[in-house]
Amino acid sequence: MAGSDSLRKVRDYIGSMPSLPTTVAKVLEVCNNPKTSPIDLDKVISLDPVLMGRVLKLINSAYYGLQNQITSLVRAIIMLGVNTVKNLALSTAVLDRLADKSGFRALNMEGFWRHCLGVGVVAKLIARKTGVDSQRLDEYFAAGLLHDIGKVPMNNVISDEYVRAMGLADRERIPLYLAEKRAIDTDHAEVGAMIAEAWHLDGPIADCIKYHHAVDVYEGKSRPILLAVIVANWYANREEVGFSGSLYPEKLNPALLDELGISRDWLESIDQAVAAEIEKASVFLKLKS
Amino acid sequence: MFSVKIWGDRGSMPVPGPDTVIFGGNTACLEIRCGKRLFIVDAGSGIRGLGDWLAKNELKNGPIKADIFLTHTHWDHIMGFPMFTPIYIPGTSLTIRGPVNFEDETLEQIIGNQLSYRYWPVRQDELAATIRYESLKETELDLGDGVTVHTKYLNHPVLCLGYRFEYEGKAIVTAYDHEPFVNLFPTDPSNPDYDEAIAEEGNRAAKEENERIEAFYRGADILVHDTQYTAKEYKANKVGWGHSSFEYAINAANRSGVKKLVLFHHDPNRGDTELQELELFYQGKLRGRTALSVEASREGSVYHA
Repeated sequence: MAGSDSLRKVRDYIGSMPSLPTTVAKVLEVCNNPKTSPIDLDKVISLDPVLMGRVLKLINSAYYGLQNQITSLVRAIIMLGVNTVKNLALSTAVLDRLADKSGFRALNMEGFWRHCLGVGVVAKLIARKTGVDSQRLDEYFAAGLLHDIGKVPMNNVISDEYVRAMGLADRERIPLYLAEKRAIDTDHAEVGAMIAEAWHLDGPIADCIKYHHAVDVYEGKSRPILLAVIVANWYANREEVGFSGSLYPEKLNPALLDELGISRDWLESIDQAVAAEIEKASVFLKLKS
Repeated sequence: MFSVKIWGDRGSMPVPGPDTVIFGGNTACLEIRCGKRLFIVDAGSGIRGLGDWLAKNELKNGPIKADIFLTHTHWDHIMGFPMFTPIYIPGTSLTIRGPVNFEDETLEQIIGNQLSYRYWPVRQDELAATIRYESLKETELDLGDGVTVHTKYLNHPVLCLGYRFEYEGKAIVTAYDHEPFVNLFPTDPSNPDYDEAIAEEGNRAAKEENERIEAFYRGADILVHDTQYTAKEYKANKVGWGHSSFEYAINAANRSGVKKLVLFHHDPNRGDTELQELELFYQGKLRGRTALSVEASREGSVYHA
């Protein structure tokens, strides 16, 4: 990756990346409430990719010295307590101070949030459908929720370049990640990998962030979860669940569906379940529908 | 020698007076001796008596050197620190360890800021002792001289550690402030927030954590355990307060093959008469049914591993 000014800005931003504006008000409301229920706490963190990533980072950091990596917020809340997790969330849900507010933002954050949530929800549905151990459902959700995290700093701190990349993708009808590479000399998977490293996320979630546009070169151990995220991403783009910024995403290789063990018919049948999950989240966050 | 002496066993707040003469009114402080090494668990109001005793009896043999382990930083566990005489004696060397929540100040600030003019006439900077602070997590420490300590997160509304001291093949374990882990998420399908996967994960997490807790107690020669409430009081309205019932502590100790259970962290509202009755009641229940011996902590008592 080139060491340009833009990339240095992105790198600096990652260290203190704020919550998404879509969720921040609810995070503050839930976490400042002394009577917050564990279920609301779980919900509000699960709905924000930045917060989810940062809270998982803190829980798994050397700070707590836990022996096993924890990818389930439910478990973290039971082990460390509502207060501890609430404070982790509050301390990470800082307001967006660093972003260049004068610059035009390429991506609509609420649309982007819906896309991330949609991919998380579908990845979890695929996990359930394909008989993944119920202990790992949260991990599938988190991997889907976080797969596009690299777009957040690109959109927020190098907005002008990002607008150019999106324009290029539209004009040439190519997937956004290819246009990013041409316009900015990096892509959201690479930036996502930097974030995963900064958050000390390794294993399946980091692999999904890094390889969701590069399954052909993937040789790691987490192929099933990666495939689930790729298929979920394709589904969310095709069904226009939110907006990922990519009007011309790559086509889906049908062999991946066979490998996962799901059919197109089944994928056609989940739209109501997906819509219901996103509706529930919107109501919780008090978004205007 | 491997022993624990109780300098304070009261929960929440010191309660001096005619009702707390037998079991004592000072908040948590334990003196653990492993051969020549001195370990102190918690700096509740009980640490004042220990500090004075050390100054009077041990200073003549050379400067005081001790490792203080704080279970957590709630006030009743740190409030005695400013009255711990050795901190004012040149040559004293202390290492203070304890867990600190992510969002908090450092351990040095949390403990040391009690010594600032608004609270106390002496500032931390003016202390004569050399004090080193170290924040702790779940870990195992080799303390030298054949002593190791394992730490384990307990279930309390703030980050809180249990300590398992091992020396010459024996173990003394502290498990306060603590209540058994429970699934905090709805398990009733008729609850509008019910989610099957979350309910299952919650059940599993609570069960596994409780198993890890019992593995932590396993085979302890002495277990000093939180028993602030009776089961009836606990169930009535104390779930989530971070304290155990007598019944839970006794059952968990029994399942873990503990030899002696010391009932600890007495409720400030529980007088001597009631504690004596409870102690006799539980001892009677256990008589002839288990090898576990149970005793309510008394200030000044010494238990040998």
